[in-house]
Amino acid sequence: MKTTNPPSPEPGHLPHASQVQGPSRRTFLDRLGLGALLAAIGGQATMMLRALVPDVLYEPPRRFKIGAPDQFPQGATFLESERLFIFREQQTFHAISAVCTHLGCTVKMIQLNPPQQVEIRGETVQEKQEFHCPCHGSKYYGEGTPYAGPAPERLAWYHMELAADDGQIVVNLTEPVNQDFRLTV
Amino acid sequence: MPAAKTIWKKLIWTWKPESEFEAGDSIVKNLLLHWFPSKVTFESLSFRYSLWLGTGSAVLFAILTLTGIVLMFLYVPSVERAYASVKDIEYAVAFGWFLRGLHRIGAHLMVFVVFVHMIRVFLTGGYKNGVAAGQNRPLNWIIGVVLLLSTLLLSFTGYLLPWDQLAYWAITVGTNIALAAPMVGEQTRFLLLGGNTIAQGALIRFYVLHCFVLPTVVLMLFAWHMWRIRKDGGLACVDQVALQQKREKTQPVKSKTYSLLGIAGTRTVHVETALVDEDRYATNSSPYLTRRLLVAILATAVLAALFAIGIEAPLEEPANPAVTSNPAKAPWYFLWLQELVADTTLRFGGFTLNGALVGGIIVPGILAGLLLMWPYLDRSPVSATGVWFGPERLRQNLVFLFIILLIVILTIVGTFMRGPYWVLYWPWETWVQLPRLF
Repeated sequence: MKTTNPPSPEPGHLPHASQVQGPSRRTFLDRLGLGALLAAIGGQATMMLRALVPDVLYEPPRRFKIGAPDQFPQGATFLESERLFIFREQQTFHAISAVCTHLGCTVKMIQLNPPQQVEIRGETVQEKQEFHCPCHGSKYYGEGTPYAGPAPERLAWYHMELAADDGQIVVNLTEPVNQDFRLTV
Repeated sequence: MPAAKTIWKKLIWTWKPESEFEAGDSIVKNLLLHWFPSKVTFESLSFRYSLWLGTGSAVLFAILTLTGIVLMFLYVPSVERAYASVKDIEYAVAFGWFLRGLHRIGAHLMVFVVFVHMIRVFLTGGYKNGVAAGQNRPLNWIIGVVLLLSTLLLSFTGYLLPWDQLAYWAITVGTNIALAAPMVGEQTRFLLLGGNTIAQGALIRFYVLHCFVLPTVVLMLFAWHMWRIRKDGGLACVDQVALQQKREKTQPVKSKTYSLLGIAGTRTVHVETALVDEDRYATNSSPYLTRRLLVAILATAVLAALFAIGIEAPLEEPANPAVTSNPAKAPWYFLWLQELVADTTLRFGGFTLNGALVGGIIVPGILAGLLLMWPYLDRSPVSATGVWFGPERLRQNLVFLFIILLIVILTIVGTFMRGPYWVLYWPWETWVQLPRLF
């Protein structure tokens, strides 16, 4: 940046102000202008980018009613729009997610007829169904533990409860539970 | 008709120069041509050196831009109407099927041509600096790699727009790969989708990226790519010509020494002409380059149009979050990645590393990093610049071809040998018909 040299001080005079205080008025105004420009650009860019991060989401609720317990048949029911398997054994219920833990495809349920004996973590379990993922070939046992393919984790189980007002089953997707969770009606 | 003839001649004389003088002038006086050099070497013009792949991809980009503009008038980027509007384009709009087919096949061809262009540049050592001053070909290689990635992103954002099953499950898999990225994964996916679920927010974001942001990026990088070629003294093969000339040049005979002002006795003065422009090696760009350019444009356009007529653009069922199509496959150029994410979940004892992270982020990240850095790791001599399979670069070329071969094999396995539930089938085996349970 170009600065004008102040006249050299005459002997006996005080030195010019710019010689003591560093930047001249011109340099200062240059910097001020440049700073204002950068601040304006930065501020507007921030606002534009921030506007792209939504503050309000119009998404389906993560906690919802799925119907009265009596509506569900024994065995498995698939809720399409919720991507959820609801299992009923007599009067107990549990819910397993149909979302593959690898890359989020919807797994398909394979009915095993007759039921098979499998060993899961040292326990022998009889299972009537398995889950297979069509995207990359992950396979899960009936209670959601993966045994083949790229899936890194078990299928999620979700908390269920009965609604206080009308007795419908409520599933809470924000509350994952262990595989021994059961809702008894 | 002399007046009309004059006007016509005024318009086209730069494309058909009638003298050496006009040929020299014609390039700089024409707005469309002024970014070319006025002289061009025979080697740069030849098909065998460059295969004209860069030109091909630029022509495809132009075709995609033009058909894309027309499609933008017809397509509605909303989840309720997108699928129906694409169906309208396919069945109700005059020549809509052709425009959509050309746009789709043009995109497939562009991915292919840009990829092969990269292979060509690598195998000819085209990213290497030669003998001329001020060259920075490694930078142009990096621009090219970014252009390749942008091309892939353009295709990815493009095939989501029909909002059919392919679109829906591609966006699911793609954005979940982003989710697997450590630290920033969750925010990246949220920003990409404009929320947590694949809905209207995601569609409009991909639409704007596809129609405006990415094409602008490609256009600007393309301009920079071309400008760098001029700054680098043309295609890398020109440096071979220069080297050749240096070898052929006879040493100046020291019969009589005219020293500089008689001071430095050893420094003889001799004038070097710009040898590259000698008639033996080079010719006028107009009409020799311009004519070939027109031929390349014609050939690309005809080829793309024939493909568009011959290959029907598929439209799957409308997007359905509940049912994943079985098998759910990405387009062929992403199937090597899909094969990777399916095969790379690693387990060490109780510790599991998701294939989405390994095959979807780490491996492609390493490959992209290698590509960007390679020109700086290449220590081969100048003589390997701009020549196919330079013997000094034998090992590099073999390593590169080996990686390309792996990608091709993974693509073939993913395309032809994966059936329902991603089970391996031989291409001649028929898939088991599965009962549709849900």
